[in-house]
Amino acid sequence: MDGLISFFASHHAIRAETVLKRNGLAARLIPGPKELSPNCGVALRFEYAQRESVSAILAAKSVRIDGIHFYRPRTDDWN
Amino acid sequence: MPIYFDNAATSWPKPPAVRAALDEYFSDAGGNPGRSGHQMSIAAARLVENSREALAQMFNAEDPSRIVFTHNATHALNLVIYGLVRPGDHVVTTSMEHNSVMRPLRHLETTGVYVTIVPCRPDGTLDVSRLNDAIRPGTRLVVTTHGSNVVGTLMPIEAIAALARDRNINYLVDASQTAGAISIDVQKTGIDLMAFSGHKGLVGPTGTGGLYIRDGVMLSPLLRGGTGSDSAHETQPQFLPDMLESGTLNVAGIAGLGAGVRYLQEIGIEAVTEHGRKLVSKFVAGLHEIPGINVYGPTDVSKQCGVVSFNISDAVPSEVGLLLDEHFGIMARTGLHCAPAAHHTIGTFPAGTVRFSFSWFNTLAEIETSLEALGKIAGWACKNEVKTWMA
Repeated sequence: MDGLISFFASHHAIRAETVLKRNGLAARLIPGPKELSPNCGVALRFEYAQRESVSAILAAKSVRIDGIHFYRPRTDDWN
Repeated sequence: MPIYFDNAATSWPKPPAVRAALDEYFSDAGGNPGRSGHQMSIAAARLVENSREALAQMFNAEDPSRIVFTHNATHALNLVIYGLVRPGDHVVTTSMEHNSVMRPLRHLETTGVYVTIVPCRPDGTLDVSRLNDAIRPGTRLVVTTHGSNVVGTLMPIEAIAALARDRNINYLVDASQTAGAISIDVQKTGIDLMAFSGHKGLVGPTGTGGLYIRDGVMLSPLLRGGTGSDSAHETQPQFLPDMLESGTLNVAGIAGLGAGVRYLQEIGIEAVTEHGRKLVSKFVAGLHEIPGINVYGPTDVSKQCGVVSFNISDAVPSEVGLLLDEHFGIMARTGLHCAPAAHHTIGTFPAGTVRFSFSWFNTLAEIETSLEALGKIAGWACKNEVKTWMA
């Protein structure tokens, strides 16, 4: 997954994961990278190509997001 | 089995007796304590009072009524700060405090309260003479943590209590990180008020905490309402614990907390402290042997609770946390630990740190496993320089 959504609070992060998965979209919570956002301890990885439908679904469900980023961490290359 | 090193957030696992106590409440006691005279209400009240007595005994409070139950330590801290301080008053605190102290004080500043934050040394230790110098005629309250939630540094609470007592100023201790892990005798130490968490060192369920209030200290309640007592009157009872315990208590949680306290008393707090120091010593010594790891906090383990913060020089804290979690099953907290001033003090603002925090249930073998993992992560980080992450 090469996209990342940052949030202001974990309520919205967990809610986003639930909502996206219910819509059959890939989503995974990870520790929030501070360099992208200082606001919340957890962030959500997703497929950047799906960003338009992801944004639309989250907005429709009143999930408040801090930012959407293209993001592929070097930790993906671990071993 | 995960290796759980996030006990400063909440302890895990809980002793079987804690889980059994919750079950006992739901299966047998079931009632609302103090509200009715029937046997199920009395059974619930008995669970609450047994827990209160166990806590009073653990902290050597004058009597159990000096212990008030709260939802958590934050609630207890707010109860004191808002219940004691009035516009025009002055409060002294340190730069190592958690936001559960800082945020109420920053809010009170906007209402005409004066706040002095005494800077601590980069290892988190406090020069008591600087705190002494900050006290002035209008000082109403001194509040300090007992053990830092960022680096584990212990504050000299006995010395602070003595100087506060000399000047007739109330002293509030935030024992969130130490209650249950380090022995505290409130009378011998001479502190006036002590907020504690029920679900960390005291190994109870989340949603529990409390406050010790020395005889003679009067607080105004945060909440007023039904207490089951004095029911003929529409004004708040003026006696403890009822005055500060409006609304139905978290009986199940409090029963569990009492079981946690009794479990620790059987082991002995000294033994718990000793075990924690062994874990911290081994962990810190091992960290110093890994190239590229910086450890923060005191160098003397006798001045530290079971909290250790560090960084890997070629990695950001969230990366380390992710690798520990996904590849090694090690649960740690990363980033800023709700204490911005403490991070400024130790020089880790805004990136934060990786924090490991231990409990009675952690083992030396888990420390060895985690040191091995951190060695691998540090080696990996220095070989793979940070790429541009955002396209």
